Amino acid sequence: MSRVPTAELRRYLLTGHIRCRDCLRARLPRSPGTTASPSRQTRAFASQNATIASIAPSVSAAPVTPLRKQLKEQAKALKASGTKKKRNADNQTVPGWELTVGIEIHAQLNTARKLFSAAATSFNDIPNSNVALFDVAMPGSQPIFQPETLIPAVRAALALNCAIQPVSRFDRKHYFHWDQPAGYQITQYYEPFARDGRITLYARDGIAPEDGDRVDVGIKQVQMEQDTAKTTAQPGEVHWLDFNRVGVPLIEIITLPQIHHPATAAALVRKVQMLLASVDACVSGMEAGGLRADVNVSVRRTEDVATGKLGTRTEIKNLSSFKAVEDAIIAERDRQIAVLEAGGVVEGETRGWSLGSTGTRRLRGKEGEVDYRYMPDPDLGPVVIGDDLVGHLAASMGVLPDPEIDMLIARYGLSAKDALSLMLLDNGARIQYFYRLLDTLDERLGIDSSAELETRSGHRHALLAVNWCLHELGKLTELSADLGMTPEGECKVPSADLAAILYHLHKREITAKVAKDLLWGVFRGDITSGAVSEAINANDLWFQEISEQDYAALADQAVEGEAKVLGEFLRFKQGKAKAYPQGKLMFLVGKMMRTGPEERMDPASAERVMRSRIEEVYLLALEGSK
Amino acid sequence: MSARRRPRGLQLRHVSRCPWQVQQRRLLNHFISNEPVPAYTLDEGVPGTPTRFTLAVKDNIATVPSSSSTASPQWPTTCASPFLATYTSPFEATIVTQLRRRGARLVGKTNLDEFGMGSHSVHSAFGAVAQQPSQPPRQSHNKGDSDDDGQVLLSAGGSSGGSAVAVASGDADVALGTDTGGSVRLPAAYTGVVGFKPSYGMLSRFGVVPYANSLDTVGLLARRVGVIRRLVVGGDEQEPGLWAEWDARDPTSLSAAARRRCASVREGYGGFQEEEGDAGRVLRGLRLGMPLEYNIEELDGRIRDAWSAAAKALQESHGVRIVPVSLPSTKHALAAYYVIAPAEASSNLAKYDGIRYGSRDPEAASDAEGGVLYAASRGRGFGDEVKRRILLGSYTLSSEAMDNYFIKAQRVRRLVRRDFNRVFALDNPLHDKETFSLSDLPDSVAMEDKWGPEEVDFLLCPTAPTLAPRLEDVMNQTPLDAYMNDVFTVPASLAGLPAISIPMPLEPETAGDTPGTAGLQLIGQYWDDARLLSVADAVSKTLKAMAPTS
Repeated sequence: MSRVPTAELRRYLLTGHIRCRDCLRARLPRSPGTTASPSRQTRAFASQNATIASIAPSVSAAPVTPLRKQLKEQAKALKASGTKKKRNADNQTVPGWELTVGIEIHAQLNTARKLFSAAATSFNDIPNSNVALFDVAMPGSQPIFQPETLIPAVRAALALNCAIQPVSRFDRKHYFHWDQPAGYQITQYYEPFARDGRITLYARDGIAPEDGDRVDVGIKQVQMEQDTAKTTAQPGEVHWLDFNRVGVPLIEIITLPQIHHPATAAALVRKVQMLLASVDACVSGMEAGGLRADVNVSVRRTEDVATGKLGTRTEIKNLSSFKAVEDAIIAERDRQIAVLEAGGVVEGETRGWSLGSTGTRRLRGKEGEVDYRYMPDPDLGPVVIGDDLVGHLAASMGVLPDPEIDMLIARYGLSAKDALSLMLLDNGARIQYFYRLLDTLDERLGIDSSAELETRSGHRHALLAVNWCLHELGKLTELSADLGMTPEGECKVPSADLAAILYHLHKREITAKVAKDLLWGVFRGDITSGAVSEAINANDLWFQEISEQDYAALADQAVEGEAKVLGEFLRFKQGKAKAYPQGKLMFLVGKMMRTGPEERMDPASAERVMRSRIEEVYLLALEGSK
Repeated sequence: MSARRRPRGLQLRHVSRCPWQVQQRRLLNHFISNEPVPAYTLDEGVPGTPTRFTLAVKDNIATVPSSSSTASPQWPTTCASPFLATYTSPFEATIVTQLRRRGARLVGKTNLDEFGMGSHSVHSAFGAVAQQPSQPPRQSHNKGDSDDDGQVLLSAGGSSGGSAVAVASGDADVALGTDTGGSVRLPAAYTGVVGFKPSYGMLSRFGVVPYANSLDTVGLLARRVGVIRRLVVGGDEQEPGLWAEWDARDPTSLSAAARRRCASVREGYGGFQEEEGDAGRVLRGLRLGMPLEYNIEELDGRIRDAWSAAAKALQESHGVRIVPVSLPSTKHALAAYYVIAPAEASSNLAKYDGIRYGSRDPEAASDAEGGVLYAASRGRGFGDEVKRRILLGSYTLSSEAMDNYFIKAQRVRRLVRRDFNRVFALDNPLHDKETFSLSDLPDSVAMEDKWGPEEVDFLLCPTAPTLAPRLEDVMNQTPLDAYMNDVFTVPASLAGLPAISIPMPLEPETAGDTPGTAGLQLIGQYWDDARLLSVADAVSKTLKAMAPTS
């Protein structure tokens, strides 16, 4: 089969345009199917199609535009046409308009039993195996409030700085849906158990720069309610229902409409998840479906802000990731502004958002709006929460995330970003792992962990531990299974084994590359727990560093033929360049590492030797020669 | 049976779904499912031996298939609704278990108004319940409303009409009913038996299919007060009273501690003593209140006469003090009841949607956007009276009507309770003592002293304003006429108080087609059930003694 010219192939692939019908049809037997249908093309490619076709009268004579240039032009055209999605960070405000957002967050409480039955809460059990009579609303069954569900609920409310109400009550919220066997959901509408909270967001939490260093968002109320059954769509028109989830206790956190930037809204949801995890109120985070958010969005013109009247709001239901929160708010804000600018009216309605979409879609309008007919549940008495319980839970809550992040930064010299990641990962278990790792490492290194770690050398092993906890452990999960992190902070890589690896690494007894290999070994189970040092022995992986002379010889070898590079160093020394040419130095070090026996070399030593050779030998020589 | 078949007009022939129904008394239709032969009869009053008695259970109380014999019925729990026509409960109601333990033998599940909503037991998917008065009709010239023998058929009252007829006809010694706004007392009054509604929270509701949870109580029906009294108060140590048993599965069941606390300020919970022939000792010095507001225009003259005759007899024979009292909120109580009960009903019945219970409407089999799957199935599945109350309840709970109806009705409910607390000498142990303004009282109420009118032990009033109407007339009534029958029973339900209806003899020449008695209701303060039953027993015996022997 003869070869299709590259230019032709590219045109076909990129633009769906086939220039020479005859020959291609002869070569491609299923031509109707392979001809890309115009409807499938993106707009960008379609417009390209026209330009290419017009400037290319014949295949052979067509000047071949380099691909990279073509892509650049494409991007430019897109930007000019205004269809390119702005980066969210650049899209926090729209001049002339103020956005107002309130958020409702539903979180599954960490409890052993359901809210109104003694059935166990579960996540991956056999479907419909943890169901009590009341959960499926058998006629004549009654709700029995499980008081222990109050423990995580009150903790959560305390973490959100709420006032716990001494008396709260349950109400029925009526609507028909297959996932709700009783025809109503029991919630706390008239008298929730917690009110008037506040959550403080800092710049490090990822709020919009427009919000400055910090912003306070009020919590209107926190209420307890039942979850619904889980629906799994099956092929065809079939849905499977798992009633294990029905009646599982949730809290709904309702903020005041005090958020004005999309990024801040996402930061709030992220922070709520972190707070709930830190007080052990919540089983899983958003990524595992343990947290869901509904956002209420409205816009008003900047000149109307003084009137104090908010615009008509719409509700976007069931957002299941932080990004979705931000994206959906931006999309809905832009939609509302477009409607208003066109002279239209925003309808109060419920809208939906699916991942990766560019706009919200209408779920039901005002006339289709459900009247929930809230009614106090006549079977359930009031919930009376005593001051002693609140006091006990407040006293036993432990450190909240913000003081903990401050401590991580101050004590171990972590960056705010790393500290935050450490706190968020594995729904709060990663930080526990870090503490265990650090304890073992301290012990092995003979560092008194209670002493202040103010010095840089004191920070060094902690930073090493953080890096490995965040990045190296993270790499393990990129490919395959998860770490199997338990809430107590243990995983498939036992903290003691990682501590052993890092101990040797810290003492420069092994190289970083060996350390990484060892980590994989432990993760895969090739190295049994507690046998890290034995594995190093057995495979002769100890770091036997080459001598200073060997480094110097390798440095000389690397510098050979790099006179131009050496010139850069001279310019710096003579004050002609402002910055030390670190890049050039590393280039030379890299060259050095490649030529030498890598497993016996330490990049830091190589860098040190290279630097001193340049200073003490080559620059002097260069200066001398001038 | 077809879910579409509704009782239209008079439908007296019961639906023979079960082969064991053949022995059912002709045309009365009081059972939905039953056993052919009651094997035990009441063996009351022999201390030390377990009492064996036959029990009929209203078909909105859950029963499980009996395991003893395969020939036994499966005891479905239908609530007389097409939605549950084939429903068999996987668990048994606590009250049924409790009575089994005391020697009850289940003989049948009794017919009722669908889900307990009605006052004549005619709104049933299994046809209306009827009663045949034991006395031969004095004027049997009517044509349509009679069976083959030309006997007149009367309303059995509702909604526990089947249970009342089962007791009246002797098919069961004791029957369980449910009393939400008078559903045990009214049929007891119509059929001439005893119907007892306990204090709210005394008998477990677990397994009782709810109509209006805050009002629902399990009630007991029997031919004599003593039978009920023995079950509730208890005999000896082998036979503990139902009053003491807390049920952890019913959140509205009073806790053991609360039961003890309430009983500590009441008399009569020490145990059952037969006070044979000693009515006088129980009644002497007792103060019985006659509520002025119950002497309404609609009250049947024969009942009014019987009521005052009964009061007079008690006064004369046992020195009972009869005190006129005022319950000013009575006139609003019925309206409040018909707001609260339908509101709760509309919520409780939301689960019957054709998806899990009843049959789905095949023509509307989609829940997609714009689809009306639930509405269509529910529209077909419920009877007219149930639909009426669901719509009523849905409206009063809707956001625009809530404040004007549901909230107001709850306020009235509070006032009704306050009225009772004011007239009773005993305090309500569930509430702090309230103070009352004397200026709220009508002028007709006499003051005992400067502190106010005389307080009473129990209230004495009719159970229903009319005698059992003919079924034919019931069918031509408007729903509002039927609601009127609850006017005297609803106040005690709203306040959660114990109340009992006992037969009160009518002047024989005025009794007409009826069983010859009307219902006399005694209402007591909260948790005064033991004394109420003891007094009702004594009153009952006194009335029997004064009644002309038939």
